[in-house]
Amino acid sequence: MSTPDPKTVPIRDLLPDYREQLPEVAARFARIRERPVILSIRGLEKSYGHGDARTVVLDRLSFEVRRREFLSVVGPSGCGKSTLIRIIAGLDEATGGEVLLDGQRVEGPGPDRGMVFQGYTLFPWLTVKGNVMFGLKLRGKSKKAADREAFQWLDLVNLEEFADAYPHELSGGMKQRVAIARALANEPRILIMDEPFGALDAQTRAQMQSYLLQIWKSVDVTILFITHDLEEAAYLSDRVLVMGANPGRIVELIENPVPRPRRREQFISRPFLSLKRRLAELIHADGAAEELKLPLTMRPCAEDSVE
Amino acid sequence: MRLGVTDRMSVSGNKPAATRDWLGLKKELPRRRRYLLTLSSFLLPLALWSLVSYVPWLWHPLVRVTSPGEVEAFSTGVEVPRADFERENRDALAQHFEPAQGFRVNPPYLPPPHAVGRAFFSAFRTPPRLPDEPWLYQSLGHSIRTIFWGFLLSSLIGVPLGVLGGAYRFFARLQEPFLEFFRYLPAPAFAALCVAVLGIYDAPKIAIIFIGTFFQQVLVISNTVRRVDPALVEAAQTLGARGWPLLRGVIIPGSITGIYTDMRILLGWAWTYLIVAEVVGTMSGITYFINQQARYRNFPNVYAAIAMIGIIGLGIDFVLAWIGNRAFPWQRTSRRAGRLLALSQPAPASHYRVGAVPMFRRGAVRR
Ligand SMILES: Nc1ncnc2c1ncn2[C@@H]1O[C@H](COP(=O)(O)OP(=O)(O)OP(=O)(O)O)[C@@H](O)[C@H]1O
Ligand SMILES: [Mg+2]
Repeated sequence: MSTPDPKTVPIRDLLPDYREQLPEVAARFARIRERPVILSIRGLEKSYGHGDARTVVLDRLSFEVRRREFLSVVGPSGCGKSTLIRIIAGLDEATGGEVLLDGQRVEGPGPDRGMVFQGYTLFPWLTVKGNVMFGLKLRGKSKKAADREAFQWLDLVNLEEFADAYPHELSGGMKQRVAIARALANEPRILIMDEPFGALDAQTRAQMQSYLLQIWKSVDVTILFITHDLEEAAYLSDRVLVMGANPGRIVELIENPVPRPRRREQFISRPFLSLKRRLAELIHADGAAEELKLPLTMRPCAEDSVE
Repeated sequence: MRLGVTDRMSVSGNKPAATRDWLGLKKELPRRRRYLLTLSSFLLPLALWSLVSYVPWLWHPLVRVTSPGEVEAFSTGVEVPRADFERENRDALAQHFEPAQGFRVNPPYLPPPHAVGRAFFSAFRTPPRLPDEPWLYQSLGHSIRTIFWGFLLSSLIGVPLGVLGGAYRFFARLQEPFLEFFRYLPAPAFAALCVAVLGIYDAPKIAIIFIGTFFQQVLVISNTVRRVDPALVEAAQTLGARGWPLLRGVIIPGSITGIYTDMRILLGWAWTYLIVAEVVGTMSGITYFINQQARYRNFPNVYAAIAMIGIIGLGIDFVLAWIGNRAFPWQRTSRRAGRLLALSQPAPASHYRVGAVPMFRRGAVRR
C-alpha cells in the first residue's frame, strides 16, 4: 500500500481532527471549566400552538456558560437561535424549562442581561451619549456621573467625538458600536448579541469583529453571540454551540481549538479550518438547504451554458 | 449601417433620462424643481381662473347692457343671459327699433382674480355696513379664538388618553369601543343639544369643535403610540426600563413626532368643524362675514374671506412644521417634502432596523 500523493489529496483530509487541542488551548479550557457558571439553561422548551397545530421551536435545550466565556451559537436559519436568546433576555416566555442567571431564575427582561440586536435599535431621539446614558440614568446615577461614565464607554468603542451626534448621522458599524457601549454601560452579567454584524458589509464586519475581541478583553463580561457566519464563530468564540432545526436542538457543543490571541491570519491555520469544516458539515447535514433545487427549466438564449 | 456604441448611447441615454429626472418613482426632486412645482401648484389653478375670467369667448354666459337702446325689457347695467339679449335685439331690429348695446360678462358669483385680490385688502379696510357688525379682522379673530379653545380643550384631555390607550391594553380596551361608536356621530348632530345646554354664544361653538376633534384625536393618537417600534421598546426593557420610565423615556419620545403630525392633521379637521360651529346659536366669526357679504352680493369679499381661511390654515401649519423641525432634530423630515410642507412622517420601523423581528413577534398590533 503506497502513501497517497499529497498533491491529489483534498486539503480537508489533511486537516487534524477538530477535537485535537494544542496544550495551551487545552489548558485554557481547563481554566474556563473552573470558573463559576453564569448562565445555565435547563431543559428549555418553546412551542407554539396546541394539539395538532403544535410546533416545537426549541426542544429541551440544556447548556451552561461560564464566566467571561465567549460562546457562539450557530445553526441553520429558523432553528430557533433568536427565540433562544429572546427567552434568555426575558423578551419571550419559554413553555418549559428554565433559565438561570447566577443561579437565579430569569423572569422578564432586566439590565443584568445586555442585548445587542441586528437592527441597531438606538433611540433616534437621543444623541449617542444620551443612548449610552439611558441605562445609567435608569439606575439612578446622577447626571454628572452618568455623563462621565458614558464618555468612558464611548472612549472604549472609540466614538467620543460623536457623543453629540444623532444615530441617523452614524454609519452602521458606528451605530452598532454605540449599541455595544450602551449595553456594556449597564455592566451586565452577560452580553447577548443576535447577529450583531449581520447587516454590515464584509470589511466593516471584520473590523467590528476585532473591536469586539478587544472590548471583550478589556471588560469583564461574558458573551453569548449568535451568528450564521461560521468563520465569525470560529474567529471569536471559546465554544461554539451548533443547533439543528425542526425542532431546534443542540447538535454539538464544540470547544474551539484555535489558540488565543486570535488574529485574522489564523483563518488559514489548521485548527481553524478543521473547526470550520466540522461546523459546515454539521450545519449542511442538518439544513440540507443546498440540496434544494428550484424547479427552473433552462431558458438559454445564448449558446454558452453557464455551467 | 450599424449604430456605433456612442450613437446608441446618445439615442437611448439622454432623453428618457430627462423625463425620469422629473418623474422618478418615489424619488425626491432637486430643490429648484421643488420650488417650481410648489409655485405651479398655485399658479395653475390661478391661470385657469384667469383664462375663464379674462378671455371673453371661453365662458362669459351673460351680457351686461351698456345702453338699452329702444329695448324696453333692458336698462343700463343689467346682466342678462346671452340668448335673451340676442333674441330681444333680433325682435328690436325686426321692428326697426334701436338695438341694445352690451358686452359679455361672467356671472357675479365668479369675480375675476384682480377683484378678489383687491377685496383682499379692501375687505380689511371697509367698515361694516351695520354699526353692530364686526370688522373682518374681528370676525377672523373670533374664528381663531373658537378653534383655539375647542382644540386646546380637546387636546388637554385627548392626548393623555390617546397615549394611555396606545401604551396600555387596559385603557385601549376600556375606552376604544365607546370612542369608535361616538366618532361616527356627526358633530353637527349635537348642535341643538349644545345650544340647549350651553347657550347661544361661544360655548356651544367650542363644544362642537371639541366633539368633532376629541374622539378622533384619542383614537388616532392611540394608534400612533401603538406603532412605536417594538424593537426600541424591547431594547429599553433589556436596559432595565419598565413602567413609567419606559413610557416617558421610550414610548412617548418614540411617538412624539407621529403625535405632532397627528395634531397638525387634526387641527385641519377642526377648521372644517369651525364652519359648522359658527352657524350654531348666533352666527359668528368668518362664517358670519361670508354670509353677510354673500347677502350683499359682494362676491369678491366672499372669495377673499374663504381664501383667508386657507391662508391662515396653511400659515399655522407652516409655523408648526417649522417648530417641529426644530423641536425634533433627530428627524430628517422637511427635505422629504412631498407637499408644500411635508407632514413629518415618523420614519418607518425599517428605518431603524435592518433585520426585522418577524411580524408575529411584535405582539398583535391592532390595525
Ligand atoms: N409566533 C410563532 N408561531 C409559530 N412559529 C413561530 C413563531 N415565532 C417563531 N416561530 C418559529 O420559530 C422558529 C425559530 O425562529 P427564530 O427566529 O428563532 O430562528 P433563527 O434561528 O433566529 O433564524 P435566523 O437565522 O433566520 O434568524 C422559526 O421556524 C419560526 O417559524
Ligand atoms: Mg434570528
